[in-house]
Amino acid sequence: MNRAGFIIIGLALCLVAAEAVADVVAVVSAKNPVTTLSKSQVVDIFLGKTSRFPDGSQAVPIDQVEGSAARDEFYLKFSDKSPAQIKAHWSKIIFTGRGQPPRAVSNSIEMKKFLNENPNAIGYIEQSAVDGSVKVLLSQ
Amino acid sequence: MSYKLTPVALIAMALYASGACAEETGTPMFSFSGFGTLGLVHSSEDKADFTSSYFKPNGAGYSHSWSADVDSLIGGQVTANLTPQLSAILQVISEQNYDTTYRPHVEWANIKYQFTPDISIRAGRVVLPAYLVSDYRKVGYTNPWVRPPIEVYRLIPISNSDGIDASYRVRVGELINTMWGSYGKSESRHPAGGAVKAKSLWGLSNTVEYGPLTARIAYLNANVTVESVKALFDAFRQFGPAGIAMADKYDFANKPFSFLALGASYDPGSWFIMGEWGSVESRSVGGKAAAWYVSGGYRLGNVTPYVTYAQINPDNLSDPGLNVSTLPPSLAGPATSLNTALNSLLSSKPSQRTVSVGGRWDFTKNTAFKLQYDHTRIEAGSTGILINTQPGFQLGGKINMFSATIDFVF
Repeated sequence: MNRAGFIIIGLALCLVAAEAVADVVAVVSAKNPVTTLSKSQVVDIFLGKTSRFPDGSQAVPIDQVEGSAARDEFYLKFSDKSPAQIKAHWSKIIFTGRGQPPRAVSNSIEMKKFLNENPNAIGYIEQSAVDGSVKVLLSQ
Repeated sequence: MSYKLTPVALIAMALYASGACAEETGTPMFSFSGFGTLGLVHSSEDKADFTSSYFKPNGAGYSHSWSADVDSLIGGQVTANLTPQLSAILQVISEQNYDTTYRPHVEWANIKYQFTPDISIRAGRVVLPAYLVSDYRKVGYTNPWVRPPIEVYRLIPISNSDGIDASYRVRVGELINTMWGSYGKSESRHPAGGAVKAKSLWGLSNTVEYGPLTARIAYLNANVTVESVKALFDAFRQFGPAGIAMADKYDFANKPFSFLALGASYDPGSWFIMGEWGSVESRSVGGKAAAWYVSGGYRLGNVTPYVTYAQINPDNLSDPGLNVSTLPPSLAGPATSLNTALNSLLSSKPSQRTVSVGGRWDFTKNTAFKLQYDHTRIEAGSTGILINTQPGFQLGGKINMFSATIDFVF
């Protein structure tokens, strides 16, 4: 088999591996009045296309750190974009001074803590990390 | 605003005036980001140079068999968040200049005031958003290709304007509409000598985003002067009414210049397709030209193969010039020289079509490797986009180019 064949099979395996990661859900603090958001509404907040929830209140997106499985899974699931595409998206915005990417926390536990202290924030965590302090906005 | 306040001075003033009031917002007051491209290009035409910008003096082909000057650049940017509303940005880029140096230049330097998340104004050196990818045309990492399709992106070679701009974003359901307007001026040194100046440079654009679909219309207008051609048309004016008429038709001194562009892209994630059409018009030796491209790619994991078709069609590539037969012999020689010089300028208007195939490989974090092959057919009577044409170069013809780049952001 040629090298291109190996690359394609390798990539296919990567995709399979990504699918196997625990499910990631978008969450807000249990104190946030927002109950449901569509996939595209969530994506627009995280990609900086809007800074408000549909009810008009401020929405502050919070990422998990670059390279974390939860982050990669979140963007793949919600926006069908790879980590490189997300990086390219933010580079487009940063290098014309139109904005900065969301602040990032190191894991799902930190995310829940941050959301609890900032009811206008929105984040994502593994399904298994969901507890009473957060509200799942969209689950598939 | 007074143009005596340079963008850098404006930023410095804002920094001093505002102090460190951003602390309470929780966002860092200063952030630094950078980007760059290392590129190599080979062209099959060795009697002329291919390069990526109207303002570059040489490139691949005649000057260098493999040229690193065509695409290589490095840029750094400092963003200062002074208050939640007020921010400043300074972006400096080092790339091959008109004089072959890599002396860094200020690409953007402006202060932005964000009245609401959807309304902002900026003053200083701001982007000139002629195209879909104008905001980041020099950030190779953000684009699928080695470089934006040159047929279309050469129509407006300048990338910034010194002045003010304003943008207003409206959200209607899932649809986001952004209007933009600007007023300013621009001046860039050209390898042929002198500067290219755009005065009263104003523009309007409207962008609609609906899920993966983006559609855009833009219009720019300016009074443009290309200093390098002044001497030629001053000489034409010595030849009576016929010479003056030629000069008035073709000179490039404070001539009204307009640009209209339409573009759209559709990018649902795993593939993309995009296209742009642009048209320039000026009553000058630059004349009229229309150009368009269509490009599409498919993302196979970390590898994105793509294909692009682009073409540019200008108006006249030649002119009979002064009627030499009616002139006394002592003037016929100089008039013939002027006609030759005029026709050389007209034939340097690109008229060509290019098919490009390439691939982007995101082989590691924040870094992409790209390969691109371009096959260009130059129409009869035109040098195409090539510069530095040497004796023996034939107008029209075909060229093949091979480019490789590493693009990164940090």
